[in-house]
Amino acid sequence: MRTSSDHILTSHAGSLPRPDALIEANRAREAGATAGERGYDEVLRQSVAEIVRRQRELGIDVPGDGELGKATTQRINYGPWWRYSFLRMSGLSPGGLTLYELPPRRSGPDEVVLTSFADRRDRTRFAAAYADPASGITTGPRPPSPVCTGPLVYTGQQAIAVDIANFKAALAAAGVTEGFMTAVAPGSAYRIPNTYYKTDEEFLYAWAEALREEYKAILDAGLVLQLDDPAVADNWDMVNPEPSVDAYKKFTMVRVDALNHALRGLPQERIRFHLCWGSWHGPHTTDIAMRDIVEVMLAVNAGAYSFEAGNVRHEHEWRLWEDVKLPDGKLILPGVVSHATNVVEHPELVAERILRFANLVGRERVIASTDCGLGGRIHPDIAWAKLDTLAQGAALASRQLWGRRA
Amino acid sequence: MRASTGHILTSHAGSLPRPDALIEAWGKNDERALTQQLNAAVTEVVRRQKELGIDVPGDGEYGKSMPHSVNYGAWWRYSFLRLGGLDMGGLGLYELPARRSRPGEVVLTSFADRRDRTRFAAAYADPQSGITTGPRPANHPVCVGPLTYTGHAAIAADIARFKAALAAAGVEEGFMTAIAPASASRIGNTYYKTEEELLYACAEAMREEYRAILDAGLVLQLDDPGIAENWDQINPAPSVEEYQKFTMVRVEALNHAIRGLPQDRIRFHLCWGSWHGPHTTDIAMRDIVEVMLAINAQAYSFEAGNARHEHEWKVWQDVKLPDGKIILPGVVSHATNVVEHPELVAERILRFTNLVGRERVIASTDCGLGGRVHPDIAWAKLEALAQGAVLASRQLWR
Repeated sequence: MRTSSDHILTSHAGSLPRPDALIEANRAREAGATAGERGYDEVLRQSVAEIVRRQRELGIDVPGDGELGKATTQRINYGPWWRYSFLRMSGLSPGGLTLYELPPRRSGPDEVVLTSFADRRDRTRFAAAYADPASGITTGPRPPSPVCTGPLVYTGQQAIAVDIANFKAALAAAGVTEGFMTAVAPGSAYRIPNTYYKTDEEFLYAWAEALREEYKAILDAGLVLQLDDPAVADNWDMVNPEPSVDAYKKFTMVRVDALNHALRGLPQERIRFHLCWGSWHGPHTTDIAMRDIVEVMLAVNAGAYSFEAGNVRHEHEWRLWEDVKLPDGKLILPGVVSHATNVVEHPELVAERILRFANLVGRERVIASTDCGLGGRIHPDIAWAKLDTLAQGAALASRQLWGRRA
Repeated sequence: MRASTGHILTSHAGSLPRPDALIEAWGKNDERALTQQLNAAVTEVVRRQKELGIDVPGDGEYGKSMPHSVNYGAWWRYSFLRLGGLDMGGLGLYELPARRSRPGEVVLTSFADRRDRTRFAAAYADPQSGITTGPRPANHPVCVGPLTYTGHAAIAADIARFKAALAAAGVEEGFMTAIAPASASRIGNTYYKTEEELLYACAEAMREEYRAILDAGLVLQLDDPGIAENWDQINPAPSVEEYQKFTMVRVEALNHAIRGLPQDRIRFHLCWGSWHGPHTTDIAMRDIVEVMLAINAQAYSFEAGNARHEHEWKVWQDVKLPDGKIILPGVVSHATNVVEHPELVAERILRFTNLVGRERVIASTDCGLGGRVHPDIAWAKLEALAQGAVLASRQLWR
């Protein structure tokens, strides 16, 4: 993985705005336009080439493919980062209920379980705001959730091969040495109904084994693998009533162990991990404190950690690095611009945020990034303006950290 | 004006969410029912602020008509109902023709031609982007005769209601907002010969409202986003010097309007416009801070809690806050649904107190929260504000 050896590198959390042509092509494909399949492939290939070129042009050092291979048929969509995995797995059957319609489940002091999306604690506390279409919290389409009814087997070999080929060609065309590709982590993917596996843990490990194939494919191709695992943080809000921090950490370590199992023997120096508290535009008052889960996060066998630090619920948490030692050789990718506001961060604010981290963990160990993926969560033009300001802010910070010549 | 002598005081920029019943009452033509709703709602909104720990509450701007739960305009549109000489049949704000500025001739263009709006036209036009500012009134006023203040009864009722609510809640100091001339004069005009004449006519007329508020013993907050956000409403961008000159004319008109009034109970509110846009064309605070400080107020409220202006606390490293003056930086914002963590609020407060002194900072909001963020989120933000001020106070007075 590249490090910020002579300037602050820039990257982002993955999702970028889909071009309208790609959204149209996804719609046609979903509607069963098999004749359009080849047309779709071409639109996707071109879109990936263009999105890599544009990132490079803006000054994003470590670009992604924008998650363009993870299909969406809507401009506003908070779900492709994990829903794509349902299309790459056998053993799943179409379900009837959305995640919001599932029955709530109550946790006890000794038994932490995930409840339904509708029963999340922040959502319950701010029910009227979440329900109000004018509040800006809407997250786009709510498709029914699949149900696991048979053995999980990874079937996405072709899809990931296409994603990798498109992305590598785009990187080569743009003359970029390193790029990252996202894949969902088992703890986040398995949050769907299951009637096949006997225990939660069996189900979790089945996902780990299946997803490992995708991780291997991405790493074998020489790319950086980013594991998307908001569940490590956002499950806290999905446990009702609120558990003890210790009970939650124990619950979460099971998921981290499953992820590490999936990563066994894979090159840690090209693996980065993305943590977040859920990207919807809610109040987020029930987010768990980073301080309470940072050790759990650092137990993930990754070489770098991406996390939200650019929104008002988590911005103050840079201070935890005053007390927590980042293990040797590891990097952090704090979010210094966010999807959580339409206001485009001032480059000087971006620089200020970067410097806080660089001062605590060292300039070489910070890559400036975004809170979460920007695609689907904010207007495309604002998303691009945010990447622009990210690059500008990193340049300002680099000038301070390496002197004028950087 | 109270100062943060024993702890960091809290206040906010003015507008608070209206209860549904009040919004409905504003839409009906029943004065008595409206008065009843207002009396009950103002009593409750003051009580609630006190309960949450807001030291210097307002009346939530409830007396300023808000006919819809999403509304960004009540803070200035109320003045159209309190000024004589206006014809309400002018073109809508967004339908007005664009006006181009030139070096040596700075003019305000239309809302539709604002520079951030032009740069992000697709985002502003997209109903899903979250930038919408609620229903747009069809018409904008045109001044067709001498401007006179006709709001005596309205402001008297606002004051009586607010004072009763303060007394009921046992609160010693409260603030009431009124629009400043620069922001009020952004209307059509066929009567006055020059824009400056119109500006001064606004100043004379609004002075009556300022006096009423101050005579009642309240703190007067002058709302004047025009000082900062006019920058985005000049197309193409002027030079900073020209803008400062253009704006000083407006500041002088405001100072004229508050001549002889008790400065120690006047606070000034600056902002860059409260709509949820990218705000990439906001002028830097550094470029207008001296202009702001030329206003004869004792305290200055400004945005400092959103991603475009958060870094500007550094301005106070170089700019001296004149003796005896107070600042009210926004440490929670309407610009995001996410509720600020109390520790972030405290961190922001401490950045300012470290530079200007703890007694000279009152923790506040960026802009009014009412109409700009969901009511339940607005209240949660005031709660976070109060909690953060407590955390900061603990550090500052331990």
